Amino acid sequence: MSNDAVILPLSIFIVDDEAPARARLKDLLADCDVQLSLQVVGEASNGQEALDKLAEVHAEVVLMDIRMPQMTGIELARHLNKLEQPPVIIFTTAYDTYAVKAFEQRAIDYLLKPIRLGRLFEALSRARDAVPIRTEILQELMPEARTHLSVHERGKVILVPIEDVLYLRAEMKYVTVRTAEREYLVEESLTAMEREFSIRFVRIHRSCLVAKAAIVGFEKGGDEGESGWLVKLQGISETLPVSRRQWAGVKNLGSI
Amino acid sequence: MSSINQIITPTLLPNFRNLGTVLRAILLVNAVALFVALTQADTFSDLLQQLLHGSALLQPVLLTSLLLLYALAPVFAKLPYWQATAAIVVLISLVTFGLDVMGGELFSSQSDVGSFRYIRHVLESAIVILLLLSYFRWRALALSPARQAARLQALQARIRPHFLFNSINAVLAIVRADPKRAETALEDMSDLFRMAMSEPHELVELSKEIELVRQYLALEQLRLGERLQVQWNTDKMPPDALIPPLVLQPLLENAVYHGIEPLTDGGIIEVRIYREDKELHLQVGNPVSPTGKPHNAGHKMALSNIRERLSLLFDVEADYQVEREAGYYSVHILIPYVTETL
Repeated sequence: MSNDAVILPLSIFIVDDEAPARARLKDLLADCDVQLSLQVVGEASNGQEALDKLAEVHAEVVLMDIRMPQMTGIELARHLNKLEQPPVIIFTTAYDTYAVKAFEQRAIDYLLKPIRLGRLFEALSRARDAVPIRTEILQELMPEARTHLSVHERGKVILVPIEDVLYLRAEMKYVTVRTAEREYLVEESLTAMEREFSIRFVRIHRSCLVAKAAIVGFEKGGDEGESGWLVKLQGISETLPVSRRQWAGVKNLGSI
Repeated sequence: MSSINQIITPTLLPNFRNLGTVLRAILLVNAVALFVALTQADTFSDLLQQLLHGSALLQPVLLTSLLLLYALAPVFAKLPYWQATAAIVVLISLVTFGLDVMGGELFSSQSDVGSFRYIRHVLESAIVILLLLSYFRWRALALSPARQAARLQALQARIRPHFLFNSINAVLAIVRADPKRAETALEDMSDLFRMAMSEPHELVELSKEIELVRQYLALEQLRLGERLQVQWNTDKMPPDALIPPLVLQPLLENAVYHGIEPLTDGGIIEVRIYREDKELHLQVGNPVSPTGKPHNAGHKMALSNIRERLSLLFDVEADYQVEREAGYYSVHILIPYVTETL
């Protein structure tokens, strides 16, 4: 960066479910502003709101609580990584020995609440040169299943609650996510999704996972090479073929 | 020295007014009777004969003694342990002798010669009561480290670090904008921690515990705002009841941490406190997020902690139930209604 280039103020977004915690951050950011040119571009009280607002405004840094309703900060960070210019994330947490240890091991920036002005200043000073946390690392931090799938569509990140998903079907390099209303495409591997959501989904075919709770029954039909059975799902008329290999594990589901 | 002893020595004498003590006494005495009958019997019918014969004197003595011990419990509780023990042995011996004389020929056996039967019965009674008292003494000593450990564990569980740091953060947030409110919040916090860190009291006034809970909720309200709502049903609450300290507060803390916080729009916590005859009911219910899985470990620790303290204090007289329906979680605690310290 050359010396005569105009340095734009660092744009910052705040996510915390507690209003006083957000107010405290804004106070401290105002204090930092004296030495560090910055600008608060928005705030949100949960993951969905944050994603909606960050589709409209760009933030270079997101200060984010970990323990929040609806989805944790770590899951939100994974979804934010799908934005075209993912922000640098600094986690804030009141007390979480596990998370703090994990952050230290992976050199992820975090602030302990109550947040000190000095620590916030340091973290922000580093943020300009920092790079977003890799999705794989976030995945390691939160090995349990996500509560939402995120779909990147026309520059926006759309969240699909995992309990709305009826089936997941692999096609070429994408996976089709089917809900009662519509279909989405995500760029993930079906095998990894099977592992992550094994409690909720069952494999009925080499290329298809079905939500166990959505199975309403089976009917005869299907092509040769299949088991000859089709799965009927709640809310959609479409039926899906069960492969011969998976039939034994699937036939007892449904109507339970 | 005496002051140190008062803290460390648990009450070695059992609480004769406790149902658990009474049940244990009845069971153990009858077990001894069965053992004696077994050693003397030759056949099965003889065993029944022996048992019936023994019971004729044993059961009246046992029941009268239990009644007298129940009535005189406060007197014995005031005496030093060994004096109380001696007094109890004398009392039981007198009861045995008195009933034995009143029963006359009813309690004698063919082999009895002269007045030896009275000496025999009194000595048997004295030995059994001494055995019983030693058992209760051993039990009190064996349980006391558990009591201390339970107290320590309780102290740790009561102050959830998450709550402490989040509250400080919330107070810091309003210090500039609303110094008055910040002051109140710090005062509430200090009351709460004074109680949590104080020497353990066996029982406190229910109204005090409720005040503490309200201070706790005021702090949480600061953070959670309108997401946290509490509905109190305390119309039928006895104003003079005593309860173990910090039984209600952890229940509310659980309801906030596991119930309200994970809900984006919050919810209503329902608290019901009422008396039914000789029982005091404490009920705390909260909505739970249908999708989020509860953090069970912390929850269970706080609850097993309460359960342990209740059973140490009230033995089988306390009851405790957890109900979990779709989207709703509630804890129901039942303890004896007491107005005087045990």
